[in-house]
Amino acid sequence: MGIDTVRVEKLRTKPLDGQAVKHLVEAGLIWLKTNQQTVNSLNVFPVPDGDTGTNMMLTMTSAWNEIKDSGEKHAGRMIAMVAKGALMGARGNSGVILSQLWRGFARATQDSEIIDAEVFVRGLMEARDTAYKGVVKPVEGTILTVAKDTATAAEAALSEVDDPIDVLARCVPAADASVNQTPELLPILKQAGVVDSGGKGLFFILEGMLRYIYGEPLDMPLATAQPLSSLNFEEAMQEVEEGQDYEVVVDFFPGGQFELQKFYNKLEEMGTSIQVGEGDGMYRMHIHVPLDKRYEPIDYIMGIGTITKVAMENLTAQMDEMGAKTKNTKLELANVEPNQIAVVVVSPGPGLSRIFASLGVAAIVEGGQTMNPSTQEILAAFENLPTEKIIVLPNNKNIILAANQAKEVTVKKVEVVPSRTVPQGLAAMLAHNPDGELASVSEKMTKALGEVKTGEITVATRTVEIDGVNVKEGEVIALLDSKLVASSKSIEEGVMAFLKKAKADEHELITLYYGEDYSQSDANRIVDVVREAYPNQEIELQDGGQPHYQFIISVE
Amino acid sequence: MGEETTSLGGIHISPNAVAAIVYHATLQSYGVVGVAPKNLVEGLTQTITHEPAHGVSVRYDGENIDIDIYVIVEYGTRITSVADSVSNTVKFHVEKALGMPIHEINVHVAGLRVSNND
Repeated sequence: MGIDTVRVEKLRTKPLDGQAVKHLVEAGLIWLKTNQQTVNSLNVFPVPDGDTGTNMMLTMTSAWNEIKDSGEKHAGRMIAMVAKGALMGARGNSGVILSQLWRGFARATQDSEIIDAEVFVRGLMEARDTAYKGVVKPVEGTILTVAKDTATAAEAALSEVDDPIDVLARCVPAADASVNQTPELLPILKQAGVVDSGGKGLFFILEGMLRYIYGEPLDMPLATAQPLSSLNFEEAMQEVEEGQDYEVVVDFFPGGQFELQKFYNKLEEMGTSIQVGEGDGMYRMHIHVPLDKRYEPIDYIMGIGTITKVAMENLTAQMDEMGAKTKNTKLELANVEPNQIAVVVVSPGPGLSRIFASLGVAAIVEGGQTMNPSTQEILAAFENLPTEKIIVLPNNKNIILAANQAKEVTVKKVEVVPSRTVPQGLAAMLAHNPDGELASVSEKMTKALGEVKTGEITVATRTVEIDGVNVKEGEVIALLDSKLVASSKSIEEGVMAFLKKAKADEHELITLYYGEDYSQSDANRIVDVVREAYPNQEIELQDGGQPHYQFIISVE
Repeated sequence: MGEETTSLGGIHISPNAVAAIVYHATLQSYGVVGVAPKNLVEGLTQTITHEPAHGVSVRYDGENIDIDIYVIVEYGTRITSVADSVSNTVKFHVEKALGMPIHEINVHVAGLRVSNND
């Protein structure tokens, strides 16, 4: 891969007419399509818009369909058709902006039979101006900024070069730099650790045009090496996958021709968490591999270059060490097969997490009453599961929305079973069948929600009257299915008041999950009292570990 | 609207507060260059009262939230796409802030602004 100079010189001698424009638009579209997933992956989460890369690609496809059969020689008229096609097919925010850019470009070039450097620059500037007019409050750090910086670079280039090819050659790195600068302008991008997706899409369109001129391939994405300084191994540590026991880091100087794409492909056959960094001709490769494959990357790299340093660490041992520090025993989560249904639950305490794990959930998100997990966290929990079918149990009414949002943004098939409390979640889990059909399993689980009554015992943090119950600060309150039903002086009274309201004597099983600030001996004492009062019911006590609630109780 | 009972007491969110969210989300959408009063009377009242959310009406019947937005769109953009992204953006921001699903969002394109004639 490299610049085909003969081709570039030949293109230089040809005027940039309508047909040349057509080739450039096609190249921009193909390159965008090739890198569509890269752009999609940049979406700041959660976003109201769909996938930026797909939207821009569809907009460009509509533009291309407008001109693909046209023999138009007049460049201005050809671009007008492109603008029309982009307008008709504009999808999403980024698509509309892209169509406005084309519209501005078309307006400035409409009378030009061929595009020379000066017309090209005028077009880019008009594109920028038109795009900025389309919004009341232009936000910087977006595709608008990239369009602006590109136009500025083009204008500056005009004083030095007089061929549109050379202007484009300066625009592309300027657009690239502008894209990389977007996180500095838009804090939300920086937080998410990404660049702006729309800006990146625009960059790919421009770069595709330049690659076409240079004679570089357009149909395969570039594998890129990060600068050495930006490699983040600590973060990669966090995501150790089952079976990938060893971390291998190799520093090497490639001998002869080094093809990054091929290198990546080869590494992907061996393991996960692949990172490649580059600096001063030296490369550093990072990978997680299973025990029996731990020498493979080294052998492979030995064949393509000179190794200067090898580091290998046993991740399982490291993880155990980390686990021991936090006193978190690793949960035995269910393994799901690709075609099975995986259940993701939100759990407020370690004890409850263990119970959920024993019932066969595939992933657990920590969170609850006072710490609602974000949509991002829920999404992250199931994105890496090897199956497409997911059921989410939010186990809290405040988390249902976040769960539904996760459902909307993922490509996986997700059903949210709207469990509002932990006992509901546990009841639903009992109705789970990993090999069933997603819709019917989720329906069964939803049905199971109604089969259990939930009690929550906690201490009021202020004086208030709700649902006809007077509560003083510091008093114990009991909630039945999230509704306040009683207040009392002691935990014991609260538990008993709840059981009475829940008509526990008409049910079979009472399970009490005690919270993190409650001792097992105190809990045992309460259970004794409950047993005495409800001799015909089966009583169970479990360590729930949830914060704030002394007890979560299920009656079924 | 948006009534919710916590262990501490009730939370009530007025339609005006929701309208303010809608208004700002609308103006963030690309292609929207302004909002328009629903009718002459509203236009006059709003000029006098400087209400923060003109061009927006929010209704809540105890169950469903319905929103109407009256916008002015930049001439030359694809109006359906712009309107589509307005409803998406508004839905997202309101649901994020309220934690309640929205039943219906109607986007009324009240006019176009012509910055450039092609």
